[in-house]
Amino acid sequence: MKRLAAAALAAAAFSSGAAPFVPASDSVVLERLAVRRDDPFSREAVGLREQLRQEPRNAAVAVRLAGLHVERARADGDPRHWGRAQAVLSPWWKEKDPPPAVLLARAQIRQSQHEFPAAIEDLGTLLRHEPANAQAWLTLATVQLVTGDAAASGASCERLAPLTLPLVASACRASVAGARGDAAGGQRQLATALAASRPVPAGIQAWALGLAAELAERAGDASGAEAAYRRALSLDPGDAYNMAAFADFLIDAGRPREALAIITGDRLSEGLQLRRVIALRATGAPAAQDETRRLRERFAAARARGDRVHLREEARFVLEVERDAPRALALALENWQVQKEPADARVALEAAAAAGERNGAAEVARWARQSRLEGRAVRDALGKLGA
Amino acid sequence: MRNWLLWVLALIWLPAHAHKPSDSYLFLKVEESRIEGRWDMALRDLEAAVGLDADGDGNITWAEVRASHGAIEAYALANLAVTTSAGACPLSAGEHLIEEHTDGAYAVMMMSGTCAGPPTRIDVRYGLLFEIDAQHRGLLRVEGLGPVRNAIFTAEARDLAFDASVASGAAQFGAFVRDGVKHIAIGLDHILFLVALLLPAVLVRVEGRWRPTASLPRTLLNVGGIVTAFTVAHSITLTAAALQWVQVPSRLVESLIAASVVLTALDNLFPFLPRRRWIVAFTFGLLHGFGFASVLLDLGLPRETLALSLLGFNVGVEVGQLLLVLLLIPLAHALRRTTAYPRYAVGVGSAAIALAATGWMVERAFGMAFMPF
Repeated sequence: MKRLAAAALAAAAFSSGAAPFVPASDSVVLERLAVRRDDPFSREAVGLREQLRQEPRNAAVAVRLAGLHVERARADGDPRHWGRAQAVLSPWWKEKDPPPAVLLARAQIRQSQHEFPAAIEDLGTLLRHEPANAQAWLTLATVQLVTGDAAASGASCERLAPLTLPLVASACRASVAGARGDAAGGQRQLATALAASRPVPAGIQAWALGLAAELAERAGDASGAEAAYRRALSLDPGDAYNMAAFADFLIDAGRPREALAIITGDRLSEGLQLRRVIALRATGAPAAQDETRRLRERFAAARARGDRVHLREEARFVLEVERDAPRALALALENWQVQKEPADARVALEAAAAAGERNGAAEVARWARQSRLEGRAVRDALGKLGA
Repeated sequence: MRNWLLWVLALIWLPAHAHKPSDSYLFLKVEESRIEGRWDMALRDLEAAVGLDADGDGNITWAEVRASHGAIEAYALANLAVTTSAGACPLSAGEHLIEEHTDGAYAVMMMSGTCAGPPTRIDVRYGLLFEIDAQHRGLLRVEGLGPVRNAIFTAEARDLAFDASVASGAAQFGAFVRDGVKHIAIGLDHILFLVALLLPAVLVRVEGRWRPTASLPRTLLNVGGIVTAFTVAHSITLTAAALQWVQVPSRLVESLIAASVVLTALDNLFPFLPRRRWIVAFTFGLLHGFGFASVLLDLGLPRETLALSLLGFNVGVEVGQLLLVLLLIPLAHALRRTTAYPRYAVGVGSAAIALAATGWMVERAFGMAFMPF
């Protein structure tokens, strides 16, 4: 009877699953933790937490602990760690001018929440204190590019260049070149730097290669792009960004089976799950339906909590999987208010074209023309819009 | 052997989970002077808050969760306070269950409490997990005080209040009736479809020529049959699509609706559809129902009052349709004996409708925009 009451309370509730239940036996494993208590991460975190309990205002300890969570958030793609990092910094979260190390961590967390203007402000404050902070200049250049400000991003790259490895400086400049309609130039520059570079950490090499691949793709050099993607993924097989970009490349090329093969991992991000669903549907795999439903539930759960972090992916999902162009256009335009990268322009233009709204994405079309955005998909969409 | 088997079973049982930021789901239901509650909290969050994995092996078992029920109750109830217009309503924990959400297993804690009297307002203070995860959200749903309401607790918004006096169910119903009427009033394609269907209702075709019907009862029987068939048909598909039993791509539906208008209008000029007009009304009515549904889905159906909203919208559509019939039929009946009626109203009118609807059809099928209306 009580069980029934629980089910009834849940029926209309926000739960995605079936009715709640009592597990069959004590030994049923309900959850597997990503990190065990004897993991080095857990040990260090416990120690730092204890230190913080004794000195709650010790910024150095707090930043170290927040940094551990940021690393985990990036490595596992688990957004809970962003929230935990923020909680650790809560004594300084609302301060106008906290210690520089707090500012950098706060900017990175804000960037992860797509609070780009706030992140730019933090980085500006930090760089006034520490004009030689390379990490801050690189983060600033990245955020400026995401918000569509290529000129400012270029200036940040120039400030970064003397402070960092030549390869990092080249990659920064090449990103800006790509955003200004000179993908081929950016690719050349990056290729030279990659060929000349002394040994650099594999992560940086993979990042630069992934960027080179994207630029090659946009410049129309498909074989060069594919080779660079493959090298990037062999250096860092778990890199979700490169995985998603290469999957898009393969899907666009009509090779969904190969796209499925390169998407790996236990808990896929929304972005990777989206590529998986699109590729599964393209191959007509029976699993497509189930995975589509699961992804739909994930977007619904994000919406229920008021998240706006996955708008780009949701717009593409609604356009390509749900095939509801008007709603996709609305989402893409909402996303455009926050993010202005080529992928954001592409989904907005394609949604406008599919919805038959010639002026539906006029601002995006103008931006795409002004920044001479390259790539076949964007060209096709602009053509359909008569722009 | 047995352990091995259990382990395999566990592997099968654990579904593929996705990452998600931290949320808890809190459900409160007010019934007279009692409050019933249910609270879903992620095991991964509780691990960070109270520590569930007693043996530290990285697996949280039901035994470990059961051993922590006391700690979970203490932690959760210390972070939730419900006060009402009838005084404080302390909640106590009841049964403990498990539920699966998109990101993994959650502990479900049932709760109940008794207030001094039936409340007309409740204030909920929520503080779960914010100290551990600043992006944690508490997703709250309150039932039993006016319409069901959803709200979100964040680290910045830890107090929420609800009272019974905001927007009643009747007001919501009324709003959907209005939306239904409005949709007919501005939905030129539905209006023209009905007009094309009803224009010849005051006439009969004898040896290829239109003759006025003899009597009003005959006309009303005709009209009644057509309108009823259309209503039944579009109610079926409206309900099926609004409840998402079936999903039809909206572009296809909109194109076919335009086509149905073209065919019905052309049939007035060169008859080729079934002579019994109610069959035409029923068949095409199925299509128009899908069209109504997409509007209703865009309006956003409140899940808790789904049936009521659906009924309201449908009633609105019927009212709109009836107004059109009341406007059109008396006029048509009065004019039916004139020579102008069959020639201009039916002939030219139907041709104009067919032309306009052809424009829509092309526009919708090929995703273009050239029609002025």
